[in-house]
Amino acid sequence: MSLAADIGPMGKVIKYAPNERRDWNAFLGMVIFLGSWIMLFGGIFLTYGALRARAEIWPPLDMPPLPLDFPAMNTLVIVLSSASLQIGLNGVKAGKTHLLQWGLPVTTVLGTLFIVLQSVVWFDLWQEGLQFTSGPYASVFYAITTFHAAHVLIGLGALLWLSIQSWRGMYTPARYLSIRLWAMYWHFVGIIWGFIFLTVYVL
Amino acid sequence: MVELQPIHEVPESFIKRWIFSGDHKVIAKQFLWAGLLFLAFGGTLAMMIRWQWAYPGEKVPVLGDLFLSAQGGVVTPSTYATLFTTHGLIMVFWAITPLLIGAFGNLVIPLMIGARDMAFPWLNMASFWVFFLSQLMVIASFLVELGGAAAGWTTYPPLSTNVGTPGYGQSIMVAALFVTGIATIMGALNYITTIIRFRAPGMTYMRMPLTIWAMFLTSILNALFVPVLGSAGLLLLFDRTFGTSFFIAGAAGVQGQGDPIVFQHLFWIFGHPEVYILILPAWGIVGDLVSFFTRKPHYWYKGSVFAMIAVTVVSAVVYGHHMYVTGMNPLLSHTFMLLTLIISIPAEVLFLNWLHTMWKGSMQLTTPMLFALGTIFVFGLGGLTGIVLGTISTDIYLHDTMWVVGHFHFTMASASFLAIFAGTYFWFPKMYGRMMDEKLGRLHFAFSLIFITLLFGGQLAAGYGGHQRRLFDPYQYTFLEHLLPLNRAVSHAAFALAFGQIFFVINFFKSLVSGKEAGDNPWNVGTLEWTISSPPPMHNFDVIPTVRRGPHEFANPDVKEALGRDFLYQDEEMPENVEEPQGALAQLA
Repeated sequence: MSLAADIGPMGKVIKYAPNERRDWNAFLGMVIFLGSWIMLFGGIFLTYGALRARAEIWPPLDMPPLPLDFPAMNTLVIVLSSASLQIGLNGVKAGKTHLLQWGLPVTTVLGTLFIVLQSVVWFDLWQEGLQFTSGPYASVFYAITTFHAAHVLIGLGALLWLSIQSWRGMYTPARYLSIRLWAMYWHFVGIIWGFIFLTVYVL
Repeated sequence: MVELQPIHEVPESFIKRWIFSGDHKVIAKQFLWAGLLFLAFGGTLAMMIRWQWAYPGEKVPVLGDLFLSAQGGVVTPSTYATLFTTHGLIMVFWAITPLLIGAFGNLVIPLMIGARDMAFPWLNMASFWVFFLSQLMVIASFLVELGGAAAGWTTYPPLSTNVGTPGYGQSIMVAALFVTGIATIMGALNYITTIIRFRAPGMTYMRMPLTIWAMFLTSILNALFVPVLGSAGLLLLFDRTFGTSFFIAGAAGVQGQGDPIVFQHLFWIFGHPEVYILILPAWGIVGDLVSFFTRKPHYWYKGSVFAMIAVTVVSAVVYGHHMYVTGMNPLLSHTFMLLTLIISIPAEVLFLNWLHTMWKGSMQLTTPMLFALGTIFVFGLGGLTGIVLGTISTDIYLHDTMWVVGHFHFTMASASFLAIFAGTYFWFPKMYGRMMDEKLGRLHFAFSLIFITLLFGGQLAAGYGGHQRRLFDPYQYTFLEHLLPLNRAVSHAAFALAFGQIFFVINFFKSLVSGKEAGDNPWNVGTLEWTISSPPPMHNFDVIPTVRRGPHEFANPDVKEALGRDFLYQDEEMPENVEEPQGALAQLA
C-alpha cells in the first residue's frame, strides 16, 4: 500500500529511525539485559556463598585442590581479549577500520585459547576424581565455570561472525552498533570471569 | 520537530502480518489468546482439586473420563500432586503473566505513550514465540513417563530433586520456567526501553497513565528478579540431570551436603517481587479505571505513583516473610516482619486514593468499572488477611494452612483475575473495534465476584480451622473431618465460578463476530489510545501527538461549556477562553 495516500500531507514520515537514536535504544536495551544477567550470575554466586559458608572445610579434604596456574593465565588471556576488542572498537570509531579487522580475529583467537585452557583444567580435575557428582564443592566449580564458558562460546560465535563482517567492510565510523553491543557483552563476560577467578579459584 | 519514529509498511503476507508479526497489537492479541487458553487450562485443574476436597476418591464427572480414564476417572494421590503443582505454576507464569503483562502491556504501552511500536519489535515477536515454546513444554510435561511436575508450585527441594520427583515431567517444568523467564526478560527490557525512549513529546513521566507506570515498575522487577528464579531453576536442573548437589542434603547427599534452604532463598528473592509483578499492572489498570468511570481526576495522582514506586522498592527486601518457619535468625525474621508491615502503608495510600477518587464522583457502573471495583474489594480482603501472615507470631500457626492459600488467592489470584477482565472489557473495543456485551458482562461479573469471594473466603475459614494446604484427603485426620461440609460448599462455589466464566466465553466470541461497532472512543476517555481509530492502523499514530496534560482530565466545567463534553484528550489544545488549571486539584474547585 502506499503510505502517502493513507497518511496525508505529513512530509515528515521516515522509513528508519535515525541511527543515533536507534543506537541509543539498543544501548539502553543492552544495559538492561546485562543488569538482568548480573542478577542471574548473582543468584548462582549467592548459592555458592551459602554452601561454602555452611561447609566445615572448603575444599573438602578428599577433593583435589583447584589449580591456580592455568586460571591465572586465563585471566590474563581474557584481559588481553577485552583489550584487543576495545582497541578494535576505538579503531572503528576513529575511522581506522584495519584495527577492527585485526582486533576482532585476535579477540576470537584469545577467546578460543581461554576455552582450551579451561578445558585442560576441567580434564585434569575430572581425571583426579572431581566430577559432577562429587558433592557441593564440585557442583559449585562445574556449574559456575561451565555456565560461564557457555557465555564465552556464544560470544565467540558472535565474534567470528563480526570478524567476517568486518572484512566484508560492513562497519564504518557511522555504523558499528553490533561491535559496540558485543563488546559490552564480552567485557561483561570477562568481568564475571574476574569474579570467578577470585572467589572460586583464589579464595 | 523532527519525526523520530519510522512508519513501517504493512507486510503483505499473512504470516508476517498476523503470525510472526512485529506489530505490538498483534502480539498483544497472541498473548491474550494464549493466556486465556491457559487460564482455562489452569482453572480446569483447579476444578479437579476442588472435586477431590468435596468428594474424595469419587469419580470426577466429565473431566475424569476426559483426562483420567486410565485410572478410572479418579484423582489418585500422584495425580493430585501434579494437579496442585501445575495449577499454581500455570496460573502464575502462563496465564496471569501473559495476560496482564504480555497482552495489556504490549497493547497499551505504545498506544498510551504515543509511540508507533515497541522499541524492539523483533524482540517482542521473539518474546511471544519463546513464551509459546514454554507453553508447549508445560503440555509436554504432562505426557512423559513417571508423571508431570509434582513438587508444588514453589518447587522446593528435596521434593523437586530426583528423590522426590523422579519423573521427567518435573525437569521439563523447571526448564519451561527458565524458558518463560527468558521470554519475560525480553519483554521487560523492551517495555522499559520503550517507556524511557518512546514517549511522545510532552508525555512527561508525571503525565503517564497509571497503567503505564505500573507496567514500567513491573518490568523493572521482572528484569531484575526473574533471572534469580532462572539461577535457582538452572542449578536445580543441574541437580536433576547431572547429579550435582546444590540442593540435595540428608541421606541423598553424597560427599558433603547441599542446602535445600538456599533454594527457598533464591525462590523467594524472586517470588516476593513476583507477587507484586502480578499485582502492579492490576493496580495500574484499576487506578486508571476508577478515574475514567467516576469522571473525576485520579485523587493525588503523584501519591499513587510514588506509592507504587515505594511498593516496588520495598518488595525487593521482604521475601524472608515466606520463610519464618525455616529456623531463621529471629533478628532477621523481625526485620523482615517490620519491612513487610511497612509495605502496607503505600498499599493503603493507593487504596485510599482509589476510594477518594470515587468519592462523590458520577459513577458509571460499566462492566470494566464493575470488575475494577471487584478488584479493589478482593484485594482489600487479601491485604487484610496478609497482615496476620506477615506477623511472625500468627504466621507460625497459619503457615502452610489453607489460610495462606486463601490469602494469596485473594491478592494475586482474584485481584489479578478480576483486573484481567476489567482490562479485557475495557480495551476489547480498541483491540477488535467492537464492544463487548454489557448484559453478559454483568452476569459474568456477578458470578465471578460472588463466588470468588465465597471460594477463597471458605479457604480462609478452612485454614483457620487447621486445614493444611496440599492435603490429598484432609478427612483422614479426625480433627479435620468436620470441615467436609465447609469444603464441599466451597467446592460448589468454585464450580459456580467456573460456570460463570462461560458467559465470558460466549460474550468474547459473540462480540468478536457481531459486537456493536465501538467507534474511536466508546468510553469517553482522554488517554492517547482513544484518539485513534479502533482497531488502530499498524503505525498507530499518523502524526505523533504532542501531549499537553495528564491522563485523567475530567470534570472541568469550563471545558464542558466550551466543548460539550466532560473530558479533555491528553493531546488536545485547551479550548479558547478556558484557562489551563494548575494541577488536577484545581479542576475540582
